[in-house]
Amino acid sequence: MDTGFPSRDLQPHGQVIQPLGQSCALLPDSMMPNTTNTALLEARGLTFLRQDERVFGPLDFSLAHGEVMLVEGDNGSGKTTLLRVLAGLLRADEGNLYLDGEPLDRDRARGRMLFMAHHLGLKADLSPLENLRIASGLYGCRPRTTPANVLQKVGLQGYEDEPVRQLSAGQKKRAALARMLLIPAQMWLLDEPFANLDREGIALVNGLIEEHAEAGGAALVTSHGAVTFLHGTPRRIRMPA
Amino acid sequence: MKPGSVSAAAAAVLRRDLVLAWRSRGDMAMPVLYALIVATLFPFALGPDSALLARIAGGVVLVTVLLSMLLALDALFRPDLEDGSLEQLMLAPQPLALMLSMKILAHWLTTALPLIVIAPLLASMLHLPGHAIAVLVLALVVATPLLSLLGSVLVALTAGTRRSGMLLALMLLPLCVPVVIFAAGAVSAAQANLPWVAPIAWLGAALALILVLAPLACAAALRIAVDA
Repeated sequence: MDTGFPSRDLQPHGQVIQPLGQSCALLPDSMMPNTTNTALLEARGLTFLRQDERVFGPLDFSLAHGEVMLVEGDNGSGKTTLLRVLAGLLRADEGNLYLDGEPLDRDRARGRMLFMAHHLGLKADLSPLENLRIASGLYGCRPRTTPANVLQKVGLQGYEDEPVRQLSAGQKKRAALARMLLIPAQMWLLDEPFANLDREGIALVNGLIEEHAEAGGAALVTSHGAVTFLHGTPRRIRMPA
Repeated sequence: MKPGSVSAAAAAVLRRDLVLAWRSRGDMAMPVLYALIVATLFPFALGPDSALLARIAGGVVLVTVLLSMLLALDALFRPDLEDGSLEQLMLAPQPLALMLSMKILAHWLTTALPLIVIAPLLASMLHLPGHAIAVLVLALVVATPLLSLLGSVLVALTAGTRRSGMLLALMLLPLCVPVVIFAAGAVSAAQANLPWVAPIAWLGAALALILVLAPLACAAALRIAVDA
């Protein structure tokens, strides 16, 4: 099956997008729940300029249901900007985005994209439980999830009612991970999800991403390091410096 | 309320901001203490002539409340912008303008409402007659949401800049002139036993207009601030 990956891998600006390894999208359709032939997210010629200076692009890629892709690049190569564009927080200067085959605009992106940024979006004066209740009020929640049971799943039991201010950096991250489990977004945009986490936490993130992909969701994960903690060999987009 | 519905989201945002304000109630008390101190300074500066104080009381209380509100205004969107919760609010499948109006409502409840509550105290300290105090409170009930909403637009516009406090004051205070004129006009009309409803009605009309427009302007301005 065509992964939806464009054949024009070599971009005019010398940018090579390398499909590395086997992606989940190569599995037969029957093994992938909730899959359709259209890519969940597709970018064509996506370019972002800041004050007429190119931050990234043109980028072409597509993500099928159940697929996880790694965005690699050095500091300042535009990984976070790419995620912010995909989330609908920034507007791309050129190129098109498609979600489930239909043009993606800010209003369609809202609620379907989950963006976990460097700023986790947790209120320091509230407890993890209170933070998650707000998230579920805003976004709704997945079937069979509650703020309490997702906190348990990320290993924050016993800290539900501590103010987030008093949690360690890793625990804050876990609280943000719990939000990913709670809110019903298909497309996960994770900016450095492994930062600040211990070995167990890294395994947890991997587990969550895998589960999400198996359920037909997709994830785009950034990493600046040479090391990726993602399981298997996900497809990669390399952001040129 | 179903989680994720507009009403649940609005309730969640309102509740969140009220809880946050309650957790830092020291900050909440600050504008009230400030207003109390400023209003006390006037008799010291002008002398204890009760006729003079009664004549200026309405204006003094209005301006004091306005300045006290200005103190707390900067905190309306900045913490959310800094910790990323504003981004999460924008990505939620809810009308951003409505969510922001909930934030403005929470801000009004936690900063302006306490000031309205102590306004009669301030006014009577300055010898404002009783029936004029009632009109003053009514004028504040209409004027303070107007100031909160006006202020919210400017806070949103300056949210992306560093050190926006002074800039905010310089931009907001000129816009407050009509509000002060109408509100003070109602109080002095009441003091002179003249009909005072018209200026308050004007304030009400302005409030109706800005109630609709300010959240939309805030949403647009904050999208730009997040962009930066």
